[in-house]
Amino acid sequence: MSDAWLWLVGLVALPALVIGASFLHVDVERLRRLAVASAVSMLLAALIVAASPRLHVFSIRSSAFSWAPGGEAVIRIDTLSAVLLPFAAGLWLLTVAVTPRAALDRGGLRRTALATLITLGSFLTESAVVLLLLSVASVWTFLSALSDPAHQYQRRIVAAYLGFSTLLFTVGVALLIRPGAHDSTVERAAMWLIVIAALVRKGIVPFHAWVPEVFDHGRLGPAILFSAPQVGAYMTVVLIVPRASPDMLRVIAVLALGTSVYGAALALVQTSARRACGYLFMSQSALVMAGLDCTSVTALAGGLLVWLSAGLAFAGLARCVLVLEARRGRLGLATYHGGYERMPVLAISFLCMGLACTGFPGTLGFVGEELLVDGAIDAFPVMGFAVVLASALTGLAVLRMYFSLFCGRPDPLAHSGVRFELTRREAWTFGALVLALIGFGIAPRPLVDSRFAASDNILGLRQLRILARETRPALERAVTIRAGSPDGARRSVSAPSQ
Amino acid sequence: MMPSVPLAWMVLVGVGTPAILFALLGGASIINRPLPERWTAAFASGSMMTSCAALSLALVVDAATGTGTHLLSYGAWSTSHEGGIAIEFLVDQRSLAFAALSAAIAGVVSAFSNRYLHRESGYNRYFVLLAMFVTGMLLVALAGNVEVLFIGWEFVGLSSALLVAFFLERTAPVSNALRVFSVYRISDAALLSAAVLLRHVAGTDSLSLLFGGTRAASAVDLTGTNATIIALLLIVAVAAKSALLPFSSWLPRAMEGPTPSSAVYYGSLSIHAGCFLLLRAAPLLEHVPAARLLAGGLGAATAIFAGVTTRVQSDVKSSLAYAALTQVGIIVVEIAIGWYTVAFVHLVGHACFRLLQFLSAPNVLHDLHGMEDAIGDRPSPSGGYLEAVTSDRVRRGLFLIALERGFLDSVLDRLVVEPFIRLARRLTRLDRWLCDAVIPTRHPVTISEGEAQDE
Repeated sequence: MSDAWLWLVGLVALPALVIGASFLHVDVERLRRLAVASAVSMLLAALIVAASPRLHVFSIRSSAFSWAPGGEAVIRIDTLSAVLLPFAAGLWLLTVAVTPRAALDRGGLRRTALATLITLGSFLTESAVVLLLLSVASVWTFLSALSDPAHQYQRRIVAAYLGFSTLLFTVGVALLIRPGAHDSTVERAAMWLIVIAALVRKGIVPFHAWVPEVFDHGRLGPAILFSAPQVGAYMTVVLIVPRASPDMLRVIAVLALGTSVYGAALALVQTSARRACGYLFMSQSALVMAGLDCTSVTALAGGLLVWLSAGLAFAGLARCVLVLEARRGRLGLATYHGGYERMPVLAISFLCMGLACTGFPGTLGFVGEELLVDGAIDAFPVMGFAVVLASALTGLAVLRMYFSLFCGRPDPLAHSGVRFELTRREAWTFGALVLALIGFGIAPRPLVDSRFAASDNILGLRQLRILARETRPALERAVTIRAGSPDGARRSVSAPSQ
Repeated sequence: MMPSVPLAWMVLVGVGTPAILFALLGGASIINRPLPERWTAAFASGSMMTSCAALSLALVVDAATGTGTHLLSYGAWSTSHEGGIAIEFLVDQRSLAFAALSAAIAGVVSAFSNRYLHRESGYNRYFVLLAMFVTGMLLVALAGNVEVLFIGWEFVGLSSALLVAFFLERTAPVSNALRVFSVYRISDAALLSAAVLLRHVAGTDSLSLLFGGTRAASAVDLTGTNATIIALLLIVAVAAKSALLPFSSWLPRAMEGPTPSSAVYYGSLSIHAGCFLLLRAAPLLEHVPAARLLAGGLGAATAIFAGVTTRVQSDVKSSLAYAALTQVGIIVVEIAIGWYTVAFVHLVGHACFRLLQFLSAPNVLHDLHGMEDAIGDRPSPSGGYLEAVTSDRVRRGLFLIALERGFLDSVLDRLVVEPFIRLARRLTRLDRWLCDAVIPTRHPVTISEGEAQDE
């Protein structure tokens, strides 16, 4: 058993341990402590895996779900997934560490661990069938979080949109893995189905309406946990990017850029903090999709970096809103709520994470957006202007939220005895997240270089597929000629280069 | 342009010390352990003095060697691959002088603020933002490529907005800060768009192409149309940052911040950042007559508008702000005409003079009483020349325009803000309607609902 295999087992065992413990009669607060300890351990282990290049060549291949020669990697750690593992662990830690006590229950902690396990599994596979199964499981987990009577409408909305997405994904994968699907009209049809499935899941216009609705009137915590890892982006990288034509990728990029501007513009005028979060998520997640346009290695690396920064920053921002709501109830943006003096750490964290979302200099988001624009500027200059516009609008939306939530009139509950200060666990978690976003923004090289390596691999795979597609007719012609002529052997040698 | 090692070190120290101060004070705030006032003041004055000394020394060395413009490169910062961000400074005597002036003024304001804001609850926050601002100003002054310029530009903008909202328990400063920031975002977007176009057209983000001393080289890779668009975008960025028309309405709103920040931002440094950028981009402007004409026209119109408006302001800070804007408009005209040295001297002198006026503004009544005591009478009122040469009707019209500050706010609201909000709200309703179309509710949403039914 290799080292990588042991590390993987360890990573998977930690959320599994929490799931198992949730079935026992353990006190909820104690279960939370176990979950926090498990998430911290998982984060440390995942960081070790990400920092050890010798562990990045692990792969278990199987032909069970694919007719492709040599099968496909059902489980693997490579340059792409290595950094996504600590990302998933970090999101889990953020969730369990800052969930308000009032919103804490055994089922919620179990679902959180399960969602992390599913995300982890998704990031570890490149098999379309396994991704499909995990996608179904994640949608089911999300729906189960909305099962209470108060959220029935949102549950139906999610079921309709994500059910449609899953259906398209299923048909697409079924067409994709059938024998002889390669390089045919069937493969193109399958790709389009998977593309639309990914767009629905990511909330790209015009398939986006479910996102603000669920953020606003659904449950914000599960919505963050479902959205922030951006498994839709992973589906795109693993299944679509290697196979899609440039036109298909351009359609995705144009829709994504439109969504990015649209989400940022609408976030600016919302009067509900939750709905504004929904639109901000749309905008941020769309930027990631735009980066997957594959115009260059640099742009793709930028997109992969924005994925990490936007995921972490957005999850932190939305968690700040949840923490604030636990102290004040539902928050509107039409008035000023005040309270900066009583919650300076939360206010500063909110601002820093919001600025990281906008790609403000000194944060990881800036480096990602810079690479994105820099790499796409020659082939697709529209991307540069759209990113600039989206960033300007997002910045305004974030500052408006900050002013509304933390500034303005003195806090009416200031002398009511209500405890406003963050708990030590919350303060440490938010502080650590902000320091990570700024730390990687100031010293981004290790992360950027790893994203370049992943980007190289993805584009290399894409080039190989394009090459194989271009040379296959020539090879087939050569085989035909060889079969029909006496000197076929000699002519077939030169056939591929024709 | 060969990099000079001692010069590179001096510039690095000059820019690095305020950046370290920002990191130190900001980091302490994030972990909720702000430094004591005494330490903050000591670190701030030490940092500004070091920065000023290093940059002044760099200016002396540069003047002594007299080798023209240097591109100081500190290597790639974000990635070892192609692309990414390089730390580069384009230094010449003008940029070093402006940087040294910025550090010196920041030092003066820092010392003043230490007493002015003593025991204020936002003391630490103020110094974090001041350090951020100084770092940003130095980056703007010395930027060698678009990324460095943009980092500085953003630092100046954000710190400005957050300082306008310094008294954050009051509603007015906060809403004004948002307004100020929205104009700054227009400036940021215009600057970045110019950068995107520059990179697309010329394949580089080095500012030596725009700011380089060799004028012939400045437009080598830029065709007429592209150069015009880049120049126009730069003018929009400058106009928004320096409160030129039609963006002037944010300036009185920005006076909500504490007086030392008003002094350093809107009296001396930030308001001149746009002028300085224009001055550096002069080689590009020389190739684009339309841009020079536009800049000159905007500068002249702003000077006249601000000159009239400042006469009717009822508070000293707004009056000073418009007076400063009058001079900024004239500086822009000088740049458009091509009097670069005059413009730079005017900029430096005005920055220092207006800083003094702003810092003494809280004492203006005290000073006036002192003056009355000294001369034994009221000082004779100044001005009145414009009033003497205009008719009553014109005077009344001008008074109304000045009182309403050119109606700029209402015009911008009507032409930009309100249509944008209306469209965005309509789209929000469309999104709800889309949900209803998929899963009908008992209370269906219609896209054409009135504004009153919005959230």
